[in-house]
Amino acid sequence: MNVRVIDSGRKSPFPPIAEIWRRRELTALFVRRHIASRYRQMALGGLWAVLEPLAQLMLMSVVFGYLLRIHTNNYPYAVYVFAALIPWQHFTRSTMAVAGSLQENMGLISKVYFPRLILPVAALIRELIDSVIQVGVLLAVSAWFGYYPSWRLLLFVFPTLVFISLAGAGLGLCVASIIVRFRDIRPALSIALQGGMYLSPVLYAASVVPERLQFWYQINPMYWPIETFRWMLLDQPLVLTSALPVAMAPVLVLMLLGLVLFTLNERKTVDVL
Amino acid sequence: MSSDLAIICEGIGKRYLVPHRRQQKTSFLGELRDHLKEYTGLAGRDDEADYFWALKDITFSVKQGEIIGIVGSNGSGKSTLLKILSGVTEPTTGRAITRGRIGSLLEVGTGFHPDMTGRENVFMAGALLGLSQADIRKQFDEIVDFSGIGRFIDVPVKRYSSGMYVRLAFSVASLLSSDILILDEVLAVGDGAFKEKSEKAINRIANDGRTVILVSHSMHAIRQMCQRAIVLNKGEMVTDTGTDNAVRTYLRLMHDETEQPIDIRTLPARVDISNKQDEDFPRPFNTLKWVEIANQNGPTRSFRTGDKMVIRIGYEMPKPVDPCYFTIFVTDDVGERIFVSYSFHDGDRISFPPTGVIECAIDSLPLLDGTFSIDIDFGRVSETDIRYIDFVPRTMEFAVEQGNFLGARPLLRNQGVVAQRTRWTATSSNQITTDSDVPRLARGAKR
Repeated sequence: MNVRVIDSGRKSPFPPIAEIWRRRELTALFVRRHIASRYRQMALGGLWAVLEPLAQLMLMSVVFGYLLRIHTNNYPYAVYVFAALIPWQHFTRSTMAVAGSLQENMGLISKVYFPRLILPVAALIRELIDSVIQVGVLLAVSAWFGYYPSWRLLLFVFPTLVFISLAGAGLGLCVASIIVRFRDIRPALSIALQGGMYLSPVLYAASVVPERLQFWYQINPMYWPIETFRWMLLDQPLVLTSALPVAMAPVLVLMLLGLVLFTLNERKTVDVL
Repeated sequence: MSSDLAIICEGIGKRYLVPHRRQQKTSFLGELRDHLKEYTGLAGRDDEADYFWALKDITFSVKQGEIIGIVGSNGSGKSTLLKILSGVTEPTTGRAITRGRIGSLLEVGTGFHPDMTGRENVFMAGALLGLSQADIRKQFDEIVDFSGIGRFIDVPVKRYSSGMYVRLAFSVASLLSSDILILDEVLAVGDGAFKEKSEKAINRIANDGRTVILVSHSMHAIRQMCQRAIVLNKGEMVTDTGTDNAVRTYLRLMHDETEQPIDIRTLPARVDISNKQDEDFPRPFNTLKWVEIANQNGPTRSFRTGDKMVIRIGYEMPKPVDPCYFTIFVTDDVGERIFVSYSFHDGDRISFPPTGVIECAIDSLPLLDGTFSIDIDFGRVSETDIRYIDFVPRTMEFAVEQGNFLGARPLLRNQGVVAQRTRWTATSSNQITTDSDVPRLARGAKR
C-alpha cells in the first residue's frame, strides 16, 4: 500500500514526470472532455473546427489581400497568410491555455489532489489537436491554389507544431501559478501576444523589413516556425542565419524556468486563490 | 508506521497570509511584496499579525476500518484539515501520513462537468481519484445500480435533479475502491431512502477494512455512524473521544456555554417559566408558569429507565379557554423529538379549570441513557384543528440512566433511545414446520 507523507518540507524543483506518465489516462480524459464540451450542443459540431479558420481566412484575404494589397512575394495571399496564421495562432492559444490552466480549474484543484502539471499538458495537447485540424484545412486551401504537400511538409510540420507548443508552454508555465493571484496578467499577456503578431511575419512578408534590421527581426523565436511553414508549403526559401541560435536559446531557458516555477508554486495556488 | 493505522497527523498547523489585517494602508508595491513573499517564502518583514492560523497543532491517528467523525462549527478548520489530508494543500507545520489511496468527496460532484453525461463523469471522477479506466469499468454497473440513475446515465448531468446528481457523486466516491474515504457533509443531501442506503454503504466500507472520515453538522448522523469523533473549535482540537462525549462537547461549544459542564442532576426539579422568552416563539398569552418533574420518590432531575415520571405544570389562563389541550414534547440533546404526548391522548381530556396545576404521569419511563429536554405547549382545540396559545421550548433537562431495567446486559449507546421490555418464547421446531408452513418460510428467507 502506498504511504504518502504530506508536510511542508522543501520541495524538489523537478517536475513529477513519472507520476504524470502514470496518470496519462486522466490527461487523456481532460483533453477529450475539453474538446467534447467545446462542440457539444452545436448543430454543426466538430465542423466548426474547420469553419472557424476558413471564415477568418476569407475575411483576412478580403481586407489585406484585396483591399490593402499587402506584399507577399507573389504568392497567393490566402495561402501565404494562412500558412503563417496557423503557427502564430497555435502559439497564442497554447500560451494562453497553459497560462490559464490552473486558474480555470481552480474548482478542481482546491478539491482533489492530482499532479497539477497534467492540466497544462492537457491544454497543450488539445491545442495541438486543433492546430492539426487547421493544418488539414490549410492543405486543402493551398491545393485549391495549386500548391500540393511536399515531403518537407510531411517531415517537418509536426515537429514545428510541437516546437511552438513548447515555446508557448514555457511562457505560459512561467505565469500560470502567478495568474491565479494576479489576474491582470491575463489581459496583459493577451495584448502582448497581439503585439507579437505584428513583430512576426504573419500578415506580411519578412522581406519588407529593412536589411539592417533583419538580425534583430529574426531573433524573435516565432520568426522561425512561421518561415518554416511557408518554406514547407510554398517553396519560399528558408535562410538559416546566425540569429537562429540566438532565437532558440530563450525558448529553452523559458521552458526550463517555467517548469521549475510551476512545480515550486503550484501547491501554493490553492492557498492564495 | 504501525501497520493498522491508516492516518497519522502529527502537530498539523496551517496558516494563511492575511495582509489586510495590518492597519496602515499598503502601497501597491507593498502588496506585491506580500504576495511574492507568500509565493517564494523569501524573507521580508515577518509579522505574525499578517497570518491567520486556520489549524493549530492537530495530532491524532485513525485506525484502518475506523469511521471517525469530525465536527465543529463553520470556520473551525474542518475543511482545511480535510484539504491537508487529501493532499490538496500542505500544512505549515507538522505532517500527515496517509496509507492507501484517498477517495475524497470534499464537495459533492467534484470533477463533474455539467455538459458531460453521467457515464463520462463517472470515468472522469474515477480518474481524478486515481483509478484506471479498466478498474472503473469493472465497477461501473454497480455504481449505476447503487445510484438508481438507470437510463439517465447517458444524459448530461446538468439535466439531473440535484438529488440524482448527489446520488451519482456519492456512488462514485463510495464504490470506487479507495482505502480512505473522506466525506464532507454528503449525508445531508439525498432523500431518506438514499441516506439510509448511504449509511449502510459507509458501514460496509468500514467493515471491509477501509477507513472513513465523516464530516457532518448532523449530530444524529455522527452518532449513528461513528465510534469516535474529533471536535474542532477555532482551529484547535478540543476533544478526541467517543462519539457521545464529542457530541456533547460540540453542542456545548455551539451554545457558547462554559467549558465546565453542569451536572443537570443537581439542578432544581422545579423551574419557573413565566418569564422565559424565546425568539422563535413569542408569548403574547403567557399561560404556562412553572414546570416540575418528579419520580416515585419525589421531585428530581435524575431518572432511571422504568421509573415513574410525573410532569407538573402550573398555569394561569388569561381568560378561560375551553376546550383546550396541554402537550409535552420530549427531545434528546441534539433536538430530535423522542415522543410527544397530548392531554387528549388520555381519554380525550380537553377541559381544564382556568387556573391550576396539571399533572402528566408516565408509569414507566421508556428512555435509555442520555440527557433529554421537555418542551411544553398549551392551546385551543377547535372543531377542525388545534391552535397553540403558549409554547415554551426547552423548559428543563433531565438525565436518564438505564440501570438494570433490561437486565444484566444493557443496551449500548448506539442502540436507540427507547427501552422496551419484551417477552420471548420458544416452541419446539417440529410443531411449526408443517407442510403448509415450509413454502412460506422459504419465501420469507429469500427476501
